Amino acid sequence: MKRILVIEDEPALRDELCTLLRHAGHEPVAVTEWNGVLDQMINAAADLILLDINLPEVSGETLLEQFRKSAETPVIILTSRTAELDEVLSMSRGADDFITKPYNPTILLLRISAVLKRSKKTAAVQTYRGAEVSAVKGSIIRDGMEQILTKNEMIIFQLLLDRQGAIVTRDELMTALWDNDEFVSDSALSVNVSRLRAKLAELGLDDAVETRKKQGYVLK
Amino acid sequence: MKALAYSKDRAIPWLIRFGAWVLSMVFLFAFRVPVEAAVTVSVLLLLGAVGAEVWIYFRNKRFYNGLLANLEGLDQKYLLPEMLEEPDFTEGRIVYEVLRETDKSMCERIAEYRRENADFREYIELWVHEIKLPVASLQLMCHNDGQAKYAEQLRRVDDCVENVLYYARSGSAEKDYLIKPVSLSRAFADIAIRSRAELQQRGMTLRTENLGVSVLTDGKWLAFILGQLMGNSMKYGAKEIAVTAEDFPDRTVLRFRDDGIGISESDLPYIFEKSFTGENGHASGRATGMGLYLVKKLCGKLGHSVTANSEKGKYTEIVLTFGKNEMYKMP
Repeated sequence: MKRILVIEDEPALRDELCTLLRHAGHEPVAVTEWNGVLDQMINAAADLILLDINLPEVSGETLLEQFRKSAETPVIILTSRTAELDEVLSMSRGADDFITKPYNPTILLLRISAVLKRSKKTAAVQTYRGAEVSAVKGSIIRDGMEQILTKNEMIIFQLLLDRQGAIVTRDELMTALWDNDEFVSDSALSVNVSRLRAKLAELGLDDAVETRKKQGYVLK
Repeated sequence: MKALAYSKDRAIPWLIRFGAWVLSMVFLFAFRVPVEAAVTVSVLLLLGAVGAEVWIYFRNKRFYNGLLANLEGLDQKYLLPEMLEEPDFTEGRIVYEVLRETDKSMCERIAEYRRENADFREYIELWVHEIKLPVASLQLMCHNDGQAKYAEQLRRVDDCVENVLYYARSGSAEKDYLIKPVSLSRAFADIAIRSRAELQQRGMTLRTENLGVSVLTDGKWLAFILGQLMGNSMKYGAKEIAVTAEDFPDRTVLRFRDDGIGISESDLPYIFEKSFTGENGHASGRATGMGLYLVKKLCGKLGHSVTANSEKGKYTEIVLTFGKNEMYKMP
């Protein structure tokens, strides 16, 4: 669970954004008082900040610039401005990502986890039930046995692992694959999941990936 | 300035002079002035008149020929008054003043339209930002409430909004794009994800090759351009879209090819023209004749070239060519 500070002045959007984050297992904190936003940013002790550019009283860009003088917390800019220049300026002021409205909610969540991962500087090797998972090599090692995963299988497994215990929808898996230039079809996703299952079973990890009818998959 | 035409213009003053000379002669004879004196006076008058005429001719010739030469040499004809030196004779000065006044008034008029145009464009940008907020809220609501079927319609609303935005941008005189290296695979993946639901619903497959290169362009504009091409492929019955890039020392060529209904040979030369819908447009009834026109116009502003190849019933291929410029390369 990550604490995410939401700085967005449009109330409907802010509420839905918080709901989206809560459903994804995060803890959203919304800014509703527009005086002293900078202090709120600094004092929120957030893991990540979602920042709108067009705010009452103060511009998001100025806020970001001042905030960066004292804090390293990752910031994702959310904006309805669609000029390349806005993106370049935001990134140069220290934003970690830049997403234009309206955003694909799944993509937004993927970007949030990507930014969180980068900021945590996650070890190259993660562990899952006694197995070493290396995303770089695309391999899982358990009890001296190694299984090499294809790029697609690794993307699926990685997403399931990041959200271990929670349901990952087929839509999310599909979006993650397409986001990595793997434009797979619905049936190809099923094939990839069953191949992943078979490889995990060979390592003695039977029934690791559970299917939830009409919802998605869960990594136990 | 032609001497002959000029002489014709001067015929009346010469007739008047001739009349005055004839009258003078009548007087001179009436006062019994010797013939020799009359001839001498006539010759002197004639010499003076011719001398003056020649002088005026050359002065005018210099001024008007200068005017014409400047006009000839100018790309933007309205800049002519800026190129002229103020003449030192009344006629010339009148022409000069008239030109300057007309020019000034036209420039003011143009500035006014330009300002109005810029205002309108600014308003469109603002309006687009405004409308994107409720669209974004609705999109999140659809997702949070699990109402996927609304999301598709929302995407169409967003597409229409983007069309307006880029139409305004394409017609603007200002340079409001930013050229920097943009990853082709990133740009393509973004628009593929955007259209994923519709692509999968139509059972379409995407194939990409060699998209790991970067091109010098504006990322947002490129995404819009690719989105238009993708929309066309979906609209015109494609089952597969193949996007391939080829890198050359001086340029990168991106081929966007689909196996849709294609474009007939007679329509092909006109597909980039505004409001052209052609056979396919009449058949489907969904064409606006704006998509490829905007693609061409935006490419023009960015300095990319765009061409099309097609065979009716087989394929359509849109080819974008991105130039490479050493100047943009960061050390």
